[in-house]
Amino acid sequence: MTPSPLVLDGLVVGAILFALGLVGILARRNLIVMFLCAELMLQGISVSLVSWSRHHGDWGGHVLVIFVLAVAACEAAVALVFVLQAFARTGRLDSAAWQSLRESNLPRTIDHELPAIDTMPLRFPKLFPAGVEPPVDQDALLEREHV
Amino acid sequence: MIASVLPAISPGTLLAAAVTSTAASLWLLLPRGQIGAAERRSRWLGGLLGLAALGCFIATGHRLGGLGEETVFLIVSLVAVISGAATVVTRSPVYSAIWFAMALAGVAGVLLVLGAQFLGVATIVVYAGAILVMFLFVLMLAAPAGLAPYDRVSNEPLLSAVAGAVLLGILSLSIGRLTAEPPLCCRMPSKAAAITGDAAPATGLPAVADMSVDLLAENHVARLGGELFGRHLIAVEVAGVLLLVALVGSIAIVSRAASADGTVAPARRAVP
Repeated sequence: MTPSPLVLDGLVVGAILFALGLVGILARRNLIVMFLCAELMLQGISVSLVSWSRHHGDWGGHVLVIFVLAVAACEAAVALVFVLQAFARTGRLDSAAWQSLRESNLPRTIDHELPAIDTMPLRFPKLFPAGVEPPVDQDALLEREHV
Repeated sequence: MIASVLPAISPGTLLAAAVTSTAASLWLLLPRGQIGAAERRSRWLGGLLGLAALGCFIATGHRLGGLGEETVFLIVSLVAVISGAATVVTRSPVYSAIWFAMALAGVAGVLLVLGAQFLGVATIVVYAGAILVMFLFVLMLAAPAGLAPYDRVSNEPLLSAVAGAVLLGILSLSIGRLTAEPPLCCRMPSKAAAITGDAAPATGLPAVADMSVDLLAENHVARLGGELFGRHLIAVEVAGVLLLVALVGSIAIVSRAASADGTVAPARRAVP
């Protein structure tokens, strides 16, 4: 039985969300952002489950998504505690701060010197001080652009 | 629509183009320690490439399964996907969390379109209302001022982007293969046919539309609750115990760590 187009679309959206979350987990170094990406993967899974539930016409997918919600709440509570403990120990939300736990044959993550962020200087509108006549360019007065 | 404009390109080529541009755009968008004009240029280029990848995916999906049939679905899924990508690539974790809330709204819309009304609402309530606020609390507690250096670089941005895009390509291919009709010998027996004792494999199959109507019928939440507390009662109890254990466990971890540190007063106090 071929799934309906809507079911296929739901599966594709779930796959895209899952892959995006995977990229975030692999690439980002902020612990909290990694966590958000894990939640994004869970969202992709939820969309897929509901699509399959619609395809098969039973409630299994819905019930499973409810349990995914419950487990995600537990996971967020416990893992955020761990994140806070990690921050209290290292002062950073950096996953590379824990790289002494890596395998012994893996290379060390080395932070290269990052270019400084050039903060834009605040630009204020140029206003002439009140009550003072602006200086007049005498040469400009002598010139005539249009004859 | 788009597929009719591009009739010459085969779906496989489109899918390959979509996967390649997904990888390139994610690599361009991920933080790589640049500043100023170079960062802005790579972000713009990555965003444009990402939009091109989305267009390729829409065109491919129209051929593979019929994406673009439901306008509402298209809009909410675009919201979900674009906000999800922004969650992954945004430099600042706070903005990342806000984008995640936006992605949750999109996902809730997708769930609503797919007929899961209770889950759409529950996603907003539980995720955006509780879990996301918890994330923001932790960010406020722990994040340093300004943009930290570890937010401005990534672990292996090229390899991660390629890995995600390849996974996406494989998943889309296998989803596209679902539309291919299986040979008659290997068809899965239908559950409804098995229940009713209808042995005829081709004629006894209820149409997909009928069964989705079953999900969309009235008393949706009541029937979902009946299913949840009927067939899955023990699982519900276990989930409740799990929530309690997580609550107690997180409090225990915090209080023990605080008292072991010596810097914070012990959480356990004598209660009169």
